[in-house]
Amino acid sequence: MKTYNQYILLLLSAVLLLGASCKKNLDINNDPNNPPLEKATPYVLFPPAVMSTVSCAGTDGAVIGGIWAQYWTQSNASNQYKTIDAYNIQRTDYNALYTQMFSGALQDYSLMLKLCDSLHDYNFGLMGTVMKAYSYQILVDLYDQVPYQEAFGGLNQLQPKFDRGDSIYSWLLRDLDIALSKDLTVTILDENAAQDIIYKGDMDKWVKFANTLKLKMYLRMVNVNPSLARTKIMELINSGAEFLTDVDASYSTFKDAPGQDNPLYESNIRSLNTTTNIRASYTMLSWLQKNKDSRISKIFRAPGAASGVYYGINQGDFTSLSPIYNKSAIYRQTAIDTAYLISRAETNLMLAEADERYFGGTKAKAYYDAGVQAAFQQLKLSADTFLLPGKVYAYPTGATFDKKLEAIIVQKWASFPGTHALEGFLEQNRTGYPKYSPVYSTDPSYIPGQLVYSRNGVTGAGKFPKRLVFPDVERSRNSNTPAEVPIYQKVWWAL
Amino acid sequence: MVMAIIHLAYSQQRPVTGTVKGNDGNPVPFATIQIKGSTTGTTANDNGIFNLSVPGAATVLVIRSVGYKAQEITVGESSNLQVTLIADNKNLQEVVVTGLGLVREKKTVGYATSNFATEQINRVAPVSMMDGLSGKIAGAEISTTSGAPGASNKVILRGYSSLQGNNQPLYVVDGVPLNNDRPGSSVDKKGVNNGGYDFGNNANDINPNDIEAISILKGAAATAIYGSRAASGVVLITTKKGKSGKLKVDVASAATFSNVGMLPTMQEKFGQGWGGTFILSENGSWGPRLTGENREWGAPVDGVSLTKPFSFVDDNVRNYFTTGKELNNTISISGGNETSTFFLSYGNIYSDGILPTDADSYKRNTFSARASTKYGRFSASASFNYVNKNAKAVSTRSESGLGSSLFEDIIQIPVDINISQFKDYKNKYYNVDNYFTPYAENPYYSLYENGNNLKSNRIFGNIDLKYGINDWLSVQWRLGADITNSQSKTYKAKNRPSLDSWNDGNNVEGSQRQEDVGYVRENSDYRGEFNSDLLLTANKKLSSDFTIDGLVGFNVNQREGKIFTSAVKGLAIPGFYVISNSPNTPVSQTQEFRRRIYGLYGQATLGFREYLFLTVNARNDWSSTLPEKNNSYFYPAVNAAFILSEALKLDDRGVSFAKLRASWGKTGNDAGPYLTKTTLSTGQIIDLPFGTLDFPFNGIPGYTVGDNIGNPDLAPELSNEYELGGEVKFLRNRLGFDIAYYNKLTKGQILAVPTTPSSGYASITQNFGKVRNKGIELSVNIIPVETKDFTWTLNYTYARNRNTVEELPAGLDQVVLNFAYDAKFVARKGDPLGVFYAPVPATTPDGKIIVDATGLPKAADTDGYYGTSQRDFTMGLINTLRYKDFTLGFSFDWRKGGVFYSGTADLTYFVGNALLTTYNDRRAFVVPNSVMQVGTDAQAKPVYGENTIPLTDYNYDAYWYHTTNKGGAYSQRIIDKTFLKLRDITLSYSLPSSAARKIAASNLMLTVFARNLFVWTPEGNTFIDPEVSNYGNDLNSEFGEFRSMPTTRSYGVSLKVSF
Repeated sequence: MKTYNQYILLLLSAVLLLGASCKKNLDINNDPNNPPLEKATPYVLFPPAVMSTVSCAGTDGAVIGGIWAQYWTQSNASNQYKTIDAYNIQRTDYNALYTQMFSGALQDYSLMLKLCDSLHDYNFGLMGTVMKAYSYQILVDLYDQVPYQEAFGGLNQLQPKFDRGDSIYSWLLRDLDIALSKDLTVTILDENAAQDIIYKGDMDKWVKFANTLKLKMYLRMVNVNPSLARTKIMELINSGAEFLTDVDASYSTFKDAPGQDNPLYESNIRSLNTTTNIRASYTMLSWLQKNKDSRISKIFRAPGAASGVYYGINQGDFTSLSPIYNKSAIYRQTAIDTAYLISRAETNLMLAEADERYFGGTKAKAYYDAGVQAAFQQLKLSADTFLLPGKVYAYPTGATFDKKLEAIIVQKWASFPGTHALEGFLEQNRTGYPKYSPVYSTDPSYIPGQLVYSRNGVTGAGKFPKRLVFPDVERSRNSNTPAEVPIYQKVWWAL
Repeated sequence: MVMAIIHLAYSQQRPVTGTVKGNDGNPVPFATIQIKGSTTGTTANDNGIFNLSVPGAATVLVIRSVGYKAQEITVGESSNLQVTLIADNKNLQEVVVTGLGLVREKKTVGYATSNFATEQINRVAPVSMMDGLSGKIAGAEISTTSGAPGASNKVILRGYSSLQGNNQPLYVVDGVPLNNDRPGSSVDKKGVNNGGYDFGNNANDINPNDIEAISILKGAAATAIYGSRAASGVVLITTKKGKSGKLKVDVASAATFSNVGMLPTMQEKFGQGWGGTFILSENGSWGPRLTGENREWGAPVDGVSLTKPFSFVDDNVRNYFTTGKELNNTISISGGNETSTFFLSYGNIYSDGILPTDADSYKRNTFSARASTKYGRFSASASFNYVNKNAKAVSTRSESGLGSSLFEDIIQIPVDINISQFKDYKNKYYNVDNYFTPYAENPYYSLYENGNNLKSNRIFGNIDLKYGINDWLSVQWRLGADITNSQSKTYKAKNRPSLDSWNDGNNVEGSQRQEDVGYVRENSDYRGEFNSDLLLTANKKLSSDFTIDGLVGFNVNQREGKIFTSAVKGLAIPGFYVISNSPNTPVSQTQEFRRRIYGLYGQATLGFREYLFLTVNARNDWSSTLPEKNNSYFYPAVNAAFILSEALKLDDRGVSFAKLRASWGKTGNDAGPYLTKTTLSTGQIIDLPFGTLDFPFNGIPGYTVGDNIGNPDLAPELSNEYELGGEVKFLRNRLGFDIAYYNKLTKGQILAVPTTPSSGYASITQNFGKVRNKGIELSVNIIPVETKDFTWTLNYTYARNRNTVEELPAGLDQVVLNFAYDAKFVARKGDPLGVFYAPVPATTPDGKIIVDATGLPKAADTDGYYGTSQRDFTMGLINTLRYKDFTLGFSFDWRKGGVFYSGTADLTYFVGNALLTTYNDRRAFVVPNSVMQVGTDAQAKPVYGENTIPLTDYNYDAYWYHTTNKGGAYSQRIIDKTFLKLRDITLSYSLPSSAARKIAASNLMLTVFARNLFVWTPEGNTFIDPEVSNYGNDLNSEFGEFRSMPTTRSYGVSLKVSF
């Protein structure tokens, strides 16, 4: 028994010794593949966050917006976007847009802004605030309510409450004002300036972007809170604030390479086996044709079989086997198409509207002309001949406010096809332009350019889509998700 | 006086030693030696050696060991006895390998074990050791995930308990854990299975011919001592060793031929087109009724079209496949003397699967060397194994912009177009420009032009040193390593329909096929596992009634890996595949990991009079993957075995053997590496609806906050299991039952639980949930006929597992485990683990389907339940008929119940090829039992009336597609996965040993066999063998398949000769 005890003792001491070294040897759980969160800087977080925003707005956002704004319709020979064109979006369909926006874009802006605060970097602070507001606005405009105050709580808040869209707007606008009030004259290091993929550190342009975004958000409120919209827009314009009248907020240095290109091209062309899903909607095509608009060949491409003639598909008529549809024009896109966040055209047309609403309209024509011109210039065309008095796009100077607004908004609508198409749909929701057609586009009395109810719409005649349903990723994981609202119910600011 | 003599005799005790061997010459461990007429006796050690004091030369010893006939021997004058036990065939395999490679008598263990010997494993010459055991073990579901050579094996013991998808058993070879990763194979990431490549799991690398026996341990009591990875059971592999005696040469040789098994049944009435109209460029059979008349088809080239009869092509898909060939050869040499043994073997597999070309092939060379030696109290053994593998596997998933999935290309070809003709894929009518449809690629193109190659080198082995401190105590150190290095290259050809060609959009539909830009991916994958066990073992007889054996040990285990992948899209020179042959920047990624566990464990078995055995074991682990404060966890187990037949001497009453078992045990499990902290990430960080945007983006670096929240409070996952069972044999072992009931609760599972995106993250690593598995396992062995010349043996197994998710994280009513489109595979509280939810039609309160304005069912607001992935029960039946030297065997495997998602069904419905798409002969119909909204009532609530909107040609097809008939389509796709298979038939002939000797052989056996000859599926499944999956080989795979490779049936012949 004695020897036995000795062995036990020996073994125990060996174990104890090993135990002491174990503790150190077990401390090997630091990920060698990914840097820890503490290594984050505002400068490395900003570019992917911006590209996430651009991608969300520019892929799912653009396709939904572009089909619902009736620039485009689903090809009858393929399938990809049928659910959109049939207004049949279910909660699982657009999880990606929502997820990418929150956990891809906004989460990074939110961490970036915290880091900017502690670094006292107000320049990147403004950039982050503008992009955060821009991104949140898209979510509010599509979902009406989303989590804000309790969002980004990570481990501490896995069931964030939803906030009202108008409250979120007010908090975003307050943040923009605060960020604008900071000292923005500190020089940005070159290596950091390179990380500002929009303006390369040019803070004057960021201030313009911030002002234009404020203008856009207040304009959204004209239906629900006209007095606030009026006060704030007048205040903004009277303060001498500058807007994006001479420069776009956009990203344009894409490369024709996988993963480095325009996201709509990457998603709809490069990564799909059929490149011809997005066809010309007869709605937009007929409007361009009626006006002999030179943009037609820049927006659409007539396939070989069409012998140069542009055919459109009536909106949502994807179940038809009409042989004409087989020749329908295809949305023309390239890998290096600029992705617009706010375009010059849009800015000028917003200013035209504001001028008509609050300043008697004296400068409205100038803004309108500049806006239409910019819209043509985006496609390397000139609008000169269209804007001359008596020509199709001449500003209706003497007409009623409604007529003028229609002219402004319809021109704005025509400027959006591409990654910015969502805005066309949203502005239609706000203003009602282009108007809804009482008849389908095959009817002889159809007026070109008016939106028609989709041929395969499932919501019931006249019930146009106005929003997205809360996505499954939120509903199935967050018990605070509000009750379902049908997609034909308007969001808080809509007409 | 007589008394005095007896007393004298007893006082003249003298020691004898002895060796107990079987009639095969191998030592029989742990035999019991008893002095006849007394209760005095001893137990032999694991080498069959015993020491005993005997009163005199006339003493008779009774030597017993389960599996052998009892033997009586008179001691005589010798002090060194040689005992040879004759095997009792009925109780073969009764010695089992238990914890840590220790051999114990089966009767002493208090839990269920299943044991298979080399003959059973290799009967049908499988490439993988588990293949031959499908359907033969109660409580083990063993499947091959596709018919491709070397495809992954799935082994699930007693149901799924881990949500994180870690339900494969731990494989242990000669006491050392084996790596069972799947190097080179596609990994599921957020429902995307890149390329869908399967190069098999590492456990398949073991040459089955090198295996002496496999023991399967299912319950926690049996596995706890193996530590963290044993929570899902353990497969213990004992390899062949050399034996003392003359040199032995074994040759095993087999040739197998395979054909494609179950394929989707296609409708035979309607041909190419869509909406009832013949359309030249369509990839589906929604066209007009087949007439047999000659029609032009395909792209006109230079103004000339091909013509063919517009009629159904018989066996169209089947004819795409060829006959697979497989050669499986092993030669081994072994031998030894009293102190040393050696074993050498070389195995070679050449397997080319059922696809034309060698795009699905598997070549493997295995080399094993094992040796052992003894020197006094010291013994040493070592094992070295080298595996070289060269495998090719086809893509079962399309990769956007890079290339299509082979099986998708095949099954969407209209039923009137002969697939085989496309083999001439460079022909001007079938090439990239003019293949008849722009929506798919020629299924021979990807086969010939795209591909991959995995080359893997693996070394595993162990060194085992043992020193006997005294006759009952020894110390042992076992060191093992398992290192796999594999490289794979995947390439996809660049192709683009030429300008204005048919597929560039110059077809009747104006549709353009996107170009494939070309692709190269280089993957280098290293996995290493190192394991050390230091053991102190004791084996002592405490008194005439009590024996004790036990061990304490200390284990260090380290696992590590480094996976480097570099891939580039877009090629400069077509057909040349190196990373730099591209204008684009390659995307490179390194995944490196290292984890370490220390474990301290002990086990003790107390035996009482050979009929009551109590085993207690416990283990404490310290793991590097858990947060420091929670990294230690303890788990004990206890089991008891009571041999009724021995205790109550039931032998005389017709009960040959009866045993009761009871056990309770806990097992613990740690986390994956690096889950305790949140990190930043870069690379392909922006997911688009299709494709990604990658950082650095046009030269700008960027990081994003990782999608997963690291959890500094992770704790180990613990399972609790108890098991009750028994074994009883009647009629001289001709009728035997083994039954087990188990109940296992797994708590605190570690999983990346999806979180609301508004928390800023997509998932959080969390301990959560409870999953309970309970079930019964029954095996019955019957020998209905047993004569000298003819024996009929029946083995029947039945298992039924009931699985329930008892708890989910707070706030979640479900966790989505996998999905395809809107079909979701989820864990829900109260349901079994892995149930299907998907959209269902909206209905009125009285159950009528509500249709939308187009006449198609509206989807309800919430998803509906479609069934569970779990089986009702599984059953196996093995028949073995021996007549003289011939043996005929056949076995059935029946798995009843459960559903799976079939991507094959989805696609064949979509293109109108599926049998059921001829519903109502494709004439207009109104959705059965449906209503439409006809107005609203005073409260603006909808009012429903008769549905008057028929589905006609123009949207008939929409009824069969999930985007257009979201409510109705999933019941067409989520289908019954019941199957009955004739797993194998074998007919063997053993040359009588007298005849064998004439050709200098000691043994010769010739077998012809067939595997998976026949598969029966229920009416609802006319698509694919439900055993397949291209979602890996764990929980995710229970979701189903996404246009996966079909299974095969095969025939072969094998020859085994020993010299």
